[in-house]
Amino acid sequence: MSCEILRVEGLHKRYGNEEVLKGVSFSVRQGEALAIIGPSGTGKSTLLRCINGLTEPDGGRIWLENIEITNAKTDINKIRQQIGFVFQDFNLFAHLTALDNVRLGLTKVKRIPKRQATERAMAELNRVGLAEKANAYPAQLSGGQQQRVSIARALAMEPKLMLFDEPTSALDPELIGEVLQVMQDLADEGMTMVVVTHEMGFARSVCDEVIFMEKGVIVEQGPPEQIFLRPQQPRTRQFLGKISELYGGTGS
Amino acid sequence: MRATLKWGVVIGVLVLALGVGGLVPQAQTQTFKVCSDISWPPFEWTDAKGQFVGFDLDVMRIIAILKGYKIEIQNLGFDSIIPAVQAGQCDIGASGFTITSERARVVDFSNPYWESNQSVLVRTDSGLNIITAFKAGNKIGAQRGTTGAQWVEDNVIKQGVAVELKLYETYPLAEQDLINKQIHAVVEDEPAAKVAVKASKGVLKIAGIIITEEQFGFLVRKGDPHKLLPRINDGMKEMQKKGVWNNLVEAYFGVDVNLDRITQCYSDLKGFLEKNQPDAYAENLAACMAGQPYKKP
Amino acid sequence: MRGCAPPGRALVLFKGATIEKLQLVWESLPLLLHGTLVTVELTVGLLLVGLLLGVPVALGQVYGPHPLVVLMSSYERFFRAMPILVLLIFFYFGLKPPLSPFGTAVLVFGLHSSAYQSQIFRGAIQAIKQGQLLAARALGMTRLQALCYIVLPQALRLSIPGWSNEYSGVLKDTSFVFSIGVSELFRQGWQIMQRTREVFLIFITVAVIYLILTYLGTWLLELLERRLGVPGLAGQRREEHGRVL
Repeated sequence: MSCEILRVEGLHKRYGNEEVLKGVSFSVRQGEALAIIGPSGTGKSTLLRCINGLTEPDGGRIWLENIEITNAKTDINKIRQQIGFVFQDFNLFAHLTALDNVRLGLTKVKRIPKRQATERAMAELNRVGLAEKANAYPAQLSGGQQQRVSIARALAMEPKLMLFDEPTSALDPELIGEVLQVMQDLADEGMTMVVVTHEMGFARSVCDEVIFMEKGVIVEQGPPEQIFLRPQQPRTRQFLGKISELYGGTGS
Repeated sequence: MRATLKWGVVIGVLVLALGVGGLVPQAQTQTFKVCSDISWPPFEWTDAKGQFVGFDLDVMRIIAILKGYKIEIQNLGFDSIIPAVQAGQCDIGASGFTITSERARVVDFSNPYWESNQSVLVRTDSGLNIITAFKAGNKIGAQRGTTGAQWVEDNVIKQGVAVELKLYETYPLAEQDLINKQIHAVVEDEPAAKVAVKASKGVLKIAGIIITEEQFGFLVRKGDPHKLLPRINDGMKEMQKKGVWNNLVEAYFGVDVNLDRITQCYSDLKGFLEKNQPDAYAENLAACMAGQPYKKP
Repeated sequence: MRGCAPPGRALVLFKGATIEKLQLVWESLPLLLHGTLVTVELTVGLLLVGLLLGVPVALGQVYGPHPLVVLMSSYERFFRAMPILVLLIFFYFGLKPPLSPFGTAVLVFGLHSSAYQSQIFRGAIQAIKQGQLLAARALGMTRLQALCYIVLPQALRLSIPGWSNEYSGVLKDTSFVFSIGVSELFRQGWQIMQRTREVFLIFITVAVIYLILTYLGTWLLELLERRLGVPGLAGQRREEHGRVL
């Protein structure tokens, strides 16, 4: 398909004796927001890290548009510039201000002149509502603000695809909203996103497609209406039932 | 602007630091390096201006004049001098070295130039003499590894007199302990003991002399690659013949070893050495030290 | 008779002739300060050599492939195990480098210090959260870029307190260099003491100078730490910590 941005085929990954990915395949179309849900320790984060090469898979292939990421000849640093990655615990550079965090990739990786980089970085900070915190250091920001800066840092590189690895899991409940709002705006603007999340409400209302993963395999995949209202697999039903028991109101 | 580490500056400073001494220029022909631990008056010491003064050094300077070579004096730790001579980083060791068979195995010595005896240093108010100082139970001080320490070991303790030998890093510390009444006597080379007596302003005195007749010599690398020993030995003979030697001995080891006075006289007269007139230098140095009229260069 | 001696003779130093003693200290100052300059040059030089060598050693130990880790660790263990005096003698008399005694001293002390500094630095590197490196790689930085822009700036800041310690340690170790003929502060004091036999007076003066040097150096490093300080990372003022505990 011409508008396919990401394709994953038969991905395998093993850590010692434990096989965390047992042949995972899916694809993401341009402008699509894909949510990956599932219990902890089922390989969701590993999957994301394989996509931008932070983890090397043992088997399977991954394409970003027409370029095979898993090909050893591919310059992984070039690929990474096109894939934004947002971590669970933000991972802002502790010695740099919010502005410098966003600007660093532009000046050092993309080698954009400093003035231009500053303009773009400020625009991205503005986009996540943190222009006035440009000179604050990470330690001076709340968790939610840090995560928004880290999103701005990824966006500044003008990626074709954004990967979110449980972006709200490390946040206090009252700070989750501001981050989800930024992500929703992104999805609305047509950014292609893959989001590993436990926020079922977000997966349901914002994403176009949902994958339920467990024990290294995709148990079920479909549009949110299917997954949340008419799950085909008993295991999906069971998992979502437990979530709604715990948090109440995932919409089922 | 935020401060960033400026590597250029760092490297610059580094190069500067290493470059202070820089590469040692190739030694000119006939310039020899004389190494000495310049902290043992009156044989060699550093005066208040940092000048190198002393008997050993003057002998070296005068022989160089008589034999027509140049010397460069290098201040070096005593224990490093023999290794440095062996390694060829020093050509001559001139630092009051006692000639011993052990040393003679690794370096070559000149003819002896000095016979040293040991002094017994006591407090003036203690009333001790050279016999009572070594009474059983007394504490005797000496510098580690010196003839003085060896003498107490061999001739007092091994003879059955139970004195306690206290060893020090350097003689001034032993002398200080003596002044502080922690020990009863100190055994050290006579000229150095005279320096201590003078500096103590009467608190210390020499109770007596022990004749050990140890001999001092200048030393060079085994095999004498630069053929220095014949020149040194010959130079010393020449000095003796001309009376230069006696004048120097009188100046440096006279009754009263007054370092300040010697330093003053040396400063006044070193011009003679620069003008290659060792005879005039030694003659006037002796006169200056004796308080007689002397001629400046 | 010992009993007849006036009491307190040992204190003659501080009782009588005070003016004379002060004058001696005053006259000795030029030589002592000259020695101080040598001590400072040597200390600064050796710390810089140690830094330039210690950083790669630490980086090799933390990020290098196995053979490099072994190599760097052997280097570090070797120079930490060797007494500085042995190294000095071995280098100067054994290897005979084409350097002045001062240059040799800077080099040898620098090698020795690099082993210690590498461990200060290794600790600092390992204190950096690994996630930041992932983030850097995720932006498309090469390993070298991540090292230069993320690891070094943070690790260098975190190392300053350790350096302060290393500085005050090596400052006093520099007195060993007289074994190869460099006259620094301690040696100058030693020579004056041999000439004047004023043991206490000279060594107290020398001690005061070392105290001032230690104080000044650590103060400067503290200033640097604050100047380069980043909230939540390094260089917080004592008061900020004091507020918590």
